[in-house]
Amino acid sequence: MKPRDLTTAMLRFGQVLRAAGLGVTVSEVMDAVRALEAVDLMDRDELRRALRTVLATRVEEFPAFDRCFEAFWKFQADEGQGLDGLVTAAPGAVPEAEELPGAVSATQEKQAKVALEGWEEEGSDDSEPLEVPGMSDREALMDQDFSTFPAEDLDEVARLTVLIARRLARRVSRRKRPTRRAGVIDFRRTVRANMMKAEIIELRRRERRRKKVRLVLLCDVSGSMDLYTRFLLQFLYALQNVFGRVETFTFATRLTRVTELLKGPSYRTALRRLTDVRDFSGGTRIGECLQEFNRSWRRLVDRHTIVLLLSDGWDTGEPEVLANEMLTLKRLAGRVIWLNPLLGNPSYEPLTRGMAAALPLVDHFAAAHNLASLRDLASHLTLR
Amino acid sequence: MRAEIRKIQEMMEGADYVTDAAIATSVHLAMTLKKPLLIEGNAGVGKTEVAKVMARMLATNLIRLQCYEGLDAAQALYEWNYPKQLLHIKLEESTDHSLEQKEAAIFSEPFLIRRPLLQAISQDGQSPVLLIDEIDRCDQEFEAFLLESLAEFQVTIPEIGTIKATTPPYVILTSNRSRELSDALRRRCLYIWIDFPTFEKEVRIVMRKVPGVNERLAGQISHFMENLRTIRLAKVPGVAETLDWAQALWSLHADHLDEELVLETLGCVLKDADDVKRFKRELATGGLKRFVPVEG
Repeated sequence: MKPRDLTTAMLRFGQVLRAAGLGVTVSEVMDAVRALEAVDLMDRDELRRALRTVLATRVEEFPAFDRCFEAFWKFQADEGQGLDGLVTAAPGAVPEAEELPGAVSATQEKQAKVALEGWEEEGSDDSEPLEVPGMSDREALMDQDFSTFPAEDLDEVARLTVLIARRLARRVSRRKRPTRRAGVIDFRRTVRANMMKAEIIELRRRERRRKKVRLVLLCDVSGSMDLYTRFLLQFLYALQNVFGRVETFTFATRLTRVTELLKGPSYRTALRRLTDVRDFSGGTRIGECLQEFNRSWRRLVDRHTIVLLLSDGWDTGEPEVLANEMLTLKRLAGRVIWLNPLLGNPSYEPLTRGMAAALPLVDHFAAAHNLASLRDLASHLTLR
Repeated sequence: MRAEIRKIQEMMEGADYVTDAAIATSVHLAMTLKKPLLIEGNAGVGKTEVAKVMARMLATNLIRLQCYEGLDAAQALYEWNYPKQLLHIKLEESTDHSLEQKEAAIFSEPFLIRRPLLQAISQDGQSPVLLIDEIDRCDQEFEAFLLESLAEFQVTIPEIGTIKATTPPYVILTSNRSRELSDALRRRCLYIWIDFPTFEKEVRIVMRKVPGVNERLAGQISHFMENLRTIRLAKVPGVAETLDWAQALWSLHADHLDEELVLETLGCVLKDADDVKRFKRELATGGLKRFVPVEG
């Protein structure tokens, strides 16, 4: 066995894992090569466990890892061809996880295209500087409902959405609350300051460290939200990339974590990735999606987290489930904000069963139908 | 199986830790590749125990850093002994030592309090095992700081200089997943997930840790726990609960489970009022045979 072959094989395996969504780094691959020397290569299970220890970083990755392993390391230890099989594994052996997007049917794809039209126009011009003046001369656009924009204004609206998200993000990360007390005594600096005085005359204090606010965004992407999702997703994309501590999920009938998909330099790429995972079925099951969130992702939420729910509240599930899960969420989170695009309509009343059930458990309920409403969000993105 | 891994497994069993090939492999790799090992898993599956057993196995020191919210570098790395410094300044009051002399005196080794990270780095001789327990409890800033320390294994104290580990510690991190850890930290570490034990493993654990329990009772206990964990509970009982319960049953001289006994000792296993209610409902509808197979 030439070590070089092993390295090449491992690099290829790293690529397969990456294609399946595991973020494997080169240094991890190098560790994996070293790990090969520390295990019995003829023992397939041992090899799998060892490589998993090195290359996987969370238990959720285990199924994908095992699939890749099965597909890639096609060798039979008991037939004695272990090492040969190990290096000659097919380079194209990418397991089905990669192919999932292709499984979307043609009609669904078409639907997606329609729904995504206009989203892509914003393209990759994300390199624009943070400070872009000219928000005020766009007042007319600020107050117009998203659903009524003519096609030629979409670019401009998209640009303003990004701007607002960026301002919001900076505002949140900079926010400082005045401390109620003078802070804790900093002994280190006190000792230094009083060294010649032989007595503590002057106390040095430091401000108590505050924990930074984190955001969890849950965005409804069901059919009834279609007119708004393209703007809101733009908003989410901008928030995700400007503000470090954000986790983003989309939901309709099931919950999808899109944090990783939204990360990246180009909104266009992010959108393409989003289209692949988007859940195209008609109804919305907010309650069940929140249940899934509370079950699998509760570790993302604590008292320093603001949960932002973007939805019109049309829930086809049981309102009790929704109420129950909202209660759990409220207990976990520092603040729960519900943004409803329909609230922009003066005659709208939150009477749908789902909305009525959830409303008492929301800290702040606001509109999200135009740019002004997104801008006004700033004053609420704070922990009490 | 590689001989070294088998040896580790045997040594861990010898140190009273019932283990499996997966854990032994990860421990072996952590030691060979000299990389930190991040252990995740549900509460009470014996994550912390891995570090303790490793230290016992290697006959080396275990240095433990318990994480909590608000933990900062001073509490993890080092601190100056302020009361002692103040006292020293007071005592030196009448001497005519210069400011530099005084300063040098109070910022020297005798005034330094070594916290776990510094202890682990400045240890001579054999590499200690550094256990960073419940890392998910500390905040992100501390996590970033830790990442740096783990990469370098050296610490700079402005008043003294740089201390570099001559024998880098074996590092074990545990997490209960109450918070998502950063990718950077995960990438730096080897990773293992410890699941609830299989039936066979749990029987072995019970027999090993509570020697008075006979095989029949151990089997019943493990069946019960296995089935109990399939109900949706707020606090799923871990191995720690199994062992508490086995201990309790043993001290009641029980040699098999019956419904009354289970209800009397339920507090060892279920620690949430809603869970107890849910369990009692299941018990009322399915009886004890829902949890323990009928014998004979």
